[in-house]
Amino acid sequence: MIGSVLEKIHNAVFFQELSNDALEAVAAKATLRRFADGDVMMRKGDPADSFYLILEGHLKIVTTDARGEEIIINKVGPGETIGELALVDERPRSAGAVALEDVEALEMTKDAFFNLLDQRLDVALGILRGFSHRLRFSTTYIEKVIDWSQKTAEGDYSFLEQTQPITNRPGTDDDKAAQLLSTFYSMVRKVKAREEGLKQQVEKLAFEIDQERRKKEFEEITGTEFYARLKEQAQTIRRKRQGS
Amino acid sequence: MSDGKIVSIHSFRGGTGKSNTTANLAAQVALTGKRVGVVDTDIQSPGIHVLFGLDEQKMGRTLNDFLHGAASIREVGFSIGENPGEGQGRAQLKGSQLFLFPSSIKGGEISKILKEGIDFNVLNEGLQTAISEFDLDYLFIDTHPGLNEETLLSIATSDVLIVILRPDTQDLQGTAVTVDIARSLDVPNLLLLVNKALPKHDPQAIKAEIESKFDAPVTSVLPLSFDMAENASRDLFSLCYPDHEWSKALKNVVPFILNAK
Ligand SMILES: Nc1ncnc2c1ncn2[C@@H]1O[C@H](COP(=O)(O)OP(=O)(O)OP(=O)(O)O)[C@@H](O)[C@H]1O
Ligand SMILES: [Mg+2]
Repeated sequence: MIGSVLEKIHNAVFFQELSNDALEAVAAKATLRRFADGDVMMRKGDPADSFYLILEGHLKIVTTDARGEEIIINKVGPGETIGELALVDERPRSAGAVALEDVEALEMTKDAFFNLLDQRLDVALGILRGFSHRLRFSTTYIEKVIDWSQKTAEGDYSFLEQTQPITNRPGTDDDKAAQLLSTFYSMVRKVKAREEGLKQQVEKLAFEIDQERRKKEFEEITGTEFYARLKEQAQTIRRKRQGS
Repeated sequence: MSDGKIVSIHSFRGGTGKSNTTANLAAQVALTGKRVGVVDTDIQSPGIHVLFGLDEQKMGRTLNDFLHGAASIREVGFSIGENPGEGQGRAQLKGSQLFLFPSSIKGGEISKILKEGIDFNVLNEGLQTAISEFDLDYLFIDTHPGLNEETLLSIATSDVLIVILRPDTQDLQGTAVTVDIARSLDVPNLLLLVNKALPKHDPQAIKAEIESKFDAPVTSVLPLSFDMAENASRDLFSLCYPDHEWSKALKNVVPFILNAK
């Protein structure tokens, strides 16, 4: 297959861990497919028998709401893959995909994919790495969202100031998790602004130390037998080291 | 005994940035040409090995083995200079004299040592042996938060204690107690380091306020940074992004360590 296609495959996070040789093996098993604006690439509920790596153009991922109206869940572009999770978990398509312009994509069927995994341990490993890479990214972002949610619930908005809105790296698979994070961020900023409108009050950090408590905690630690022994041993060691 | 110095990094509460700060400081000091060791005494929840790219597979003998008498300190020391591993930051440590003494991350090993407890003399001997056998100029100790026994042990032996705190009331309260303990244990150099400062805080004002409260130098005020959080301990931040505000502020701490008596 032509070099430019190989390069595009390599740029996809999903395949970024693969060697050139492994990429060629992938490309050899895949079919280049073209779709026009409005073409349905996948239908919700269909059996998942292949996945696509988008090379050119954008498409929308859609589902329908209770009234049967279309909801766009996401927009997907070059370097991204669609449908690959369904290959592994064997569930039917959870959403549909419709081309928004001329789309060029590599299709790999489930059979070809597993065939390849069977034959090539390096490809299988590379793909596993692609998966775990993405999971790790997502986990980092999701932990952040959890942390922020808890803080927001407690009315602690301090994280807003320490955070610069995230720069999405286009075309990488951490986009969605990053989008969640940035959406969450702007939501909290709006919530905060609203709240501040209500209470026109400036917060100030209380830098007061409770001396009573300080003394009590100090005594609790130093009052033990362990501490007395430690202090003695530490003195001996310091004297020894100074003497040398 | 050799005159290598023990530098303990501690904080009263968890998550203040001890492990990241320790690893980055140790790397910066090693890059000045000093011979540096890093010991993870956070036996309950070891973490610093991650920053140096070690996982369970790469990890050989551990501090736990030493404490059980199953390995010598020489066997525990892992040369980062020879095995800097992947990561653009860590790669710069190739050839440096930096040795990691990791703590085991195996559940069984952790509970075993927690059950048995740590003998002050054995740990201290380990630290001294690490200094003499590896001819270290500095031995950094990453500790477990709070003032439990193993942490008190490392404070008691340190020549330099760096207490990290965030500018919030709870950290300040806990730091007050830590400072009192360090003085009671005659730590010769007591230094403070503020991490995760918000942009709304003026670093100079924070420094002045905290110094007056504790009567100890604040070596630097490191900003809370999204980039740091995103790095998520994957690599040594100050080597990856040397011109970042956090890295520049971190490097301010180095002379305090190099000049400690
Ligand atoms: N200045 C900073 N800005 C943003 N995030 C930071 C900063 N410093 C550290 N972090 C993040 O805070 C978390 C805790 O850091 P680290 O593990 O170094 O702290 P610790 O004190 O060793 O924690 P523990 O008490 O659990 O051992 C990490 O995810 C780290 O990336
Ligand atoms: Mg830690």
